[in-house]
Amino acid sequence: MGDEWEPPLPAGYSDVNRAFLQAFMARGTLTFREGQRLLAAIQSASEGGSHIDPASITMDEFQNFIRTARDAVEPLDFDIRNTRDQIRGGERVWAFINAHSDPATQLSTTHTPEEVAYVKRLLDAMFEQYNTPRMEVMAVDEGQALRVSRPAARRESNMNGNDNDDEEHQEDGAAAAATGRGLKHSEVLSLLSSLVAEGWLDKSLNGFYSLTPRSLMELWSWLVATYNESDADADDDWQRIKFCEACKEIVTYGQRCNEPNCTIRLHDICEDGFWRTRPERKCPKCSTPWEGNHYVGERAVTSRSGFQRGRGRRARRTEAAEAEENGADEE
Amino acid sequence: MPVQQRLRRQAAQNVDDDDMGQPHPQSPGEVDSDGDEQMAEVGPRDETTQLIKNLVRYALSCEYSRAPIRRDGIKEKVLGSNGREFKRVFAGAQKQLRATFGMEMVELPTKDRNLMTAEQKRKAAKSQTQKEPTSNTYVLVSVLPEAYTTPAIITPSKVQSAEGEAAYVALYTMIIAIITLSGGELSEPRLRRHLTRLNVSENMPSLNPNDETSPSEKTEMVLQRMVRQGYLVKLTDSRSGGDEDQTTWHVGPRGKVEVDKEVIAAFVRTIYGGSDDELENRLQVSLKIRDRKPGVPDMVEEVAEEEAAPNGDPGPSNRRRGRRRQTEAYDEESD
Repeated sequence: MGDEWEPPLPAGYSDVNRAFLQAFMARGTLTFREGQRLLAAIQSASEGGSHIDPASITMDEFQNFIRTARDAVEPLDFDIRNTRDQIRGGERVWAFINAHSDPATQLSTTHTPEEVAYVKRLLDAMFEQYNTPRMEVMAVDEGQALRVSRPAARRESNMNGNDNDDEEHQEDGAAAAATGRGLKHSEVLSLLSSLVAEGWLDKSLNGFYSLTPRSLMELWSWLVATYNESDADADDDWQRIKFCEACKEIVTYGQRCNEPNCTIRLHDICEDGFWRTRPERKCPKCSTPWEGNHYVGERAVTSRSGFQRGRGRRARRTEAAEAEENGADEE
Repeated sequence: MPVQQRLRRQAAQNVDDDDMGQPHPQSPGEVDSDGDEQMAEVGPRDETTQLIKNLVRYALSCEYSRAPIRRDGIKEKVLGSNGREFKRVFAGAQKQLRATFGMEMVELPTKDRNLMTAEQKRKAAKSQTQKEPTSNTYVLVSVLPEAYTTPAIITPSKVQSAEGEAAYVALYTMIIAIITLSGGELSEPRLRRHLTRLNVSENMPSLNPNDETSPSEKTEMVLQRMVRQGYLVKLTDSRSGGDEDQTTWHVGPRGKVEVDKEVIAAFVRTIYGGSDDELENRLQVSLKIRDRKPGVPDMVEEVAEEEAAPNGDPGPSNRRRGRRRQTEAYDEESD
């Protein structure tokens, strides 16, 4: 063997597929519309430059390319998964992901260990601190993101520091270094901005950071393993990561049952289809009438009267930005 | 604070280990759980396939952060105890990269003899036996036909941010093109003059221009990154004692591979808004490329090989050629 070894490839795999794969990897994610534009450009290139209308690329063609690419990279422990965007009208998003993924492997190539440690603290804030049975925010605003810029202070180092100040100081330094020295606020803001630009975090108009569909796909199994209790009774106990009753995907932005102790959650985007199949708008588990005004995600905060009162000038500005955004979308 | 530094480095290593170690330890178990028939023939073939897979993943992850793929790194993080397998695993990974991704690993050229100090040259001459020197360092490049490498298909990758990546690629391509067309060497003041013309003498866009706290970065920092990543080489003659007139800029090994002569020619054509016979002639003379219609993908590899070959004739002839090219560059500018 050796020389005669040939890598396994799907039938008919060619430069067209390789170009698609390279383009996909550079983008990280693709929506169908982006895929149409990309495939039109690729086909045009393979046919010597003739113009091809992106609208002529069908969903079947696109999915064929996705399937072929997936077959090609699967032996290398990469994967292509898709999910619907919980926030933006449920548009389906395909992502090129690493099959063994946790925040450290994902980020360690381009981020410093301190930054990776910060991201872990940020995720803890999202899924532990700001994700309680009463308030399932699963998102953090800027102030909350800055609050975890440094690791929580270690108590032990002070316990045996009865000698002179100098030594105590050194010990503190060593302990801090062991857990990562944390980030300056300006560094946190830069990191958040680049995580948004890289497509790991979403920043909402109200200023909340949450995980993008890409992150949720990439970190799916890690999130469940890290934040959920494995020995809990699957149905009855409250778990940090919950799944949509309709589509079974993770809910970080959606609705919850009006009964505070009930664990049923639903995406906004799955709601219509879900209720159409049911005789009544009641929780499928506890039969409490489903009013759709109890939320998972940032609306757990923003729908509360306290937040609304405090909005003042910011609300007007946000609406202006929203109008602008819509205007830009329509172009 | 040395302790902190050491710990930080240790932490970095740990993360690194996590990174590459993850697919590695589970290799035997993972393969087994995939299917029964594989369990029956856990022979050398499976093992090699596993190593090839790890090398492909290692190469991709290095490229992600523009870290060079080093032979030592491959031995340490991919091969482990199978150090003797290097040749076979490397060849397999090349095949896989070409077939699946349309990419391949290209060995970086060794340090240009022109750029060595007299001391280094003496050392190199002593240690150099009959063998051709090799850098044992590789970078991943795309081998897709040129038709596919258009902005509509291959976008700047989203590492840090697509906008920052685009700006960075544009800047190093520009600087490398200027250096190459100036004869492969540019003095510090002349580089600064070009940067001023590009309006980047003080600041350049940062890797993430969306970042409100640091949308731009000091030009010095960006140039340092270009040097660190092997796009540029900055050379200061030690005798001059840091006099900036004696500082010269050259194209680094990664720069030579990624921004080869064809790329520079294509870049110049784009800047000139198209191509005509005169421009093509000048490009041929300046870059020593053969006659070629733009857009026809041939001889790209040849150029890369020529580049990769260690520069055989240093000395005066090279410098004369350099000066001739310099004047041409001036001609182009004055047009």
